[in-house]
Amino acid sequence: MTTLEIPHVGRFDVELWESGSGDPLLYLHGYERHPGGAGFLERLAQSRRVLAPEQPGYGRSTGFESFTDVLDVTLYHRELVESWGIERIDVVGHSLGGMFAAELAAVAPQMVRKLVLVNAYGLWLDDQPTLDPFGPADEVKKAKWHGEPPQTEPTNFVPDPDNPHAAILFAAQNLGSATKFMWPIADRGLRRRLPLIDAPTLVVHGTSDGLLPLSYAEEFVRLIPDATLAPIEAAGHYPMIEQEDAFVSAVTTFLEA
Amino acid sequence: MKYHWFAEATYDGLPETYPQKHPSGSVDVPASLVDSLHVGAHYRMFIRLMQQADRLGWDGLAVNEHHQTTFAMTPSPNLLAASLASSTENAALLVIGNSLALYNPPIRVAEEMAYLDCLSEGRLIAGFVFGTPMDTAFAYGVPPAELRARFHEARELITRAWTEPEPFAFNGTYTKLRYVNVLPRPVQTPPPIWVPGTGSVETWDLVLDEDYCYGYLSFFGLANARPIVRGFWDRVEQRGLDVNPNRMAFTQIICVADTEAEAERRYGDAVRYFFTRQRAPLHFAAPPGYTSIASQREMLERARGVSTEDRLRATRGELSFWEYDDLGFIIAGTPERVRQRLRELAVELRVGQLITCMHMGDLPEETAAMNNELFGLQVAPHLRDLWAEHEDPWTPSVSRARVAAGAAAVPVPTR
Repeated sequence: MTTLEIPHVGRFDVELWESGSGDPLLYLHGYERHPGGAGFLERLAQSRRVLAPEQPGYGRSTGFESFTDVLDVTLYHRELVESWGIERIDVVGHSLGGMFAAELAAVAPQMVRKLVLVNAYGLWLDDQPTLDPFGPADEVKKAKWHGEPPQTEPTNFVPDPDNPHAAILFAAQNLGSATKFMWPIADRGLRRRLPLIDAPTLVVHGTSDGLLPLSYAEEFVRLIPDATLAPIEAAGHYPMIEQEDAFVSAVTTFLEA
Repeated sequence: MKYHWFAEATYDGLPETYPQKHPSGSVDVPASLVDSLHVGAHYRMFIRLMQQADRLGWDGLAVNEHHQTTFAMTPSPNLLAASLASSTENAALLVIGNSLALYNPPIRVAEEMAYLDCLSEGRLIAGFVFGTPMDTAFAYGVPPAELRARFHEARELITRAWTEPEPFAFNGTYTKLRYVNVLPRPVQTPPPIWVPGTGSVETWDLVLDEDYCYGYLSFFGLANARPIVRGFWDRVEQRGLDVNPNRMAFTQIICVADTEAEAERRYGDAVRYFFTRQRAPLHFAAPPGYTSIASQREMLERARGVSTEDRLRATRGELSFWEYDDLGFIIAGTPERVRQRLRELAVELRVGQLITCMHMGDLPEETAAMNNELFGLQVAPHLRDLWAEHEDPWTPSVSRARVAAGAAAVPVPTR
């Protein structure tokens, strides 16, 4: 747990998964939940210091009520990185975390060395309306994965023997917080800010994502000045899980180039 | 006890296949199922039935707000209330309510409700509601995570707009206004305010902090309401407040006829229609963030008065008419039976404001009119004595006085 106080904004007690040493990397998780110590994070941490905070409003991280809009979240991330004494950092953002990562790179370009967006939310294409990520659970589950959904999805949830409803409440709280930035359409104006990003950017995209078609990744590449597309075949919304090797290789190669 | 006439303005021309072919009665229901001229005729029927209820001595006429649904085709209850304000004399206009977060800016609610209070000479009851998930999150696209904050900010703005004598500036998170000066102001300053809830402690504390009337508005009767209503009264006692029955409203579907056989014959199809055409799939009914985590925990842990299976059987149309009645989802039968069961319900739940649902589903107008007449003349007068000793600041003084004056003219039949 790490604590951050932003004057006149609020106090944030944040769950932080941290591992490794070397150049720092900020990982911002997706709309459903923090992945916990998933394999891809462990592997990224073999060559660098990975900092993966759980978003306020998710799991045990507090301070969500201090956010009025996405600018608050962006400045919170800036303050969080500064509180670690880090001036420049690589940022990898997945799904909703991709929206936040791109916002940070646009608003605090001096802070973001390189940016990786993975199946990122934040844009809307009228001619390619996306599936509602809060729609029927079975429909969403099917859309997220290229292959059969895994037995257990990556999560930082810890069962509580005293609370039989803990899993339901955990999911409800996480998704409820996501609605702040993704409901009814996951567009909070990012399109206008993407051209301000200075950082070299890799747009990673699991090409079978039924929630976000590849055209969304192509639109990110079109709008960000220095961006490259890295499609990952045979993967859906979670390419880092379905194609861990390809994902880690693409990200590492880009960051080390 | 006081009575407030109510009906969901349910579209009555839905085919038998409706629940199977279209899994939802809200949000994405096919518009082609609805004939607009027929809807107009239907609105006129509801107005006639409420005018009749006003003549028969109902204390209030209740209207509600729903969007994109065939279950209740009243996107603006204020429009229906306006028709009633100018064509009724006595009863309160119970607008229950406006989904505050959906009006932008929310002074629209302050203005329209003030208009209603002026037109009705001070007969308005102002209902403030969150609105269903289908109404708010889906039809109007409010992020569930913001709904409560938007509701409370709007509530504060509207209440101040009704009561502050001078123009004021309002710098909210969601609404910013340099000059708030609503005209006209309501006749009542402010009108009585009712807030319905589904059993969360947050809403109980809100209504008790602000001295609002609390409504538990379900269509699942006494057994379902028991644990929630008990929880409410426990909370009132814990906080050392007056356990005045008039601070609580409750809905009940009522089907009165001269004999039990006639009740089943005349209301059976409509009751079944009502319960089977209101489906909402889970992803519409319970979007993430709509219910606070504290409230969800309470709901998951609270004992259920009616099993989920019985509710599902009701909405699948698997209950017989008298099973709906046994479970308390409806109260049906002769005037004697109905008044006996209503007295039991009202005494046990300690309800002072009974919202009587006199029309349901595709009930023909003549049957609803009969229901009104039998209830108004042979049921209501017998239960007037209940809770009469308690003050009632939650209904307008004008409607109280006028209904009381009119009520004397209603002959109480001898047994």
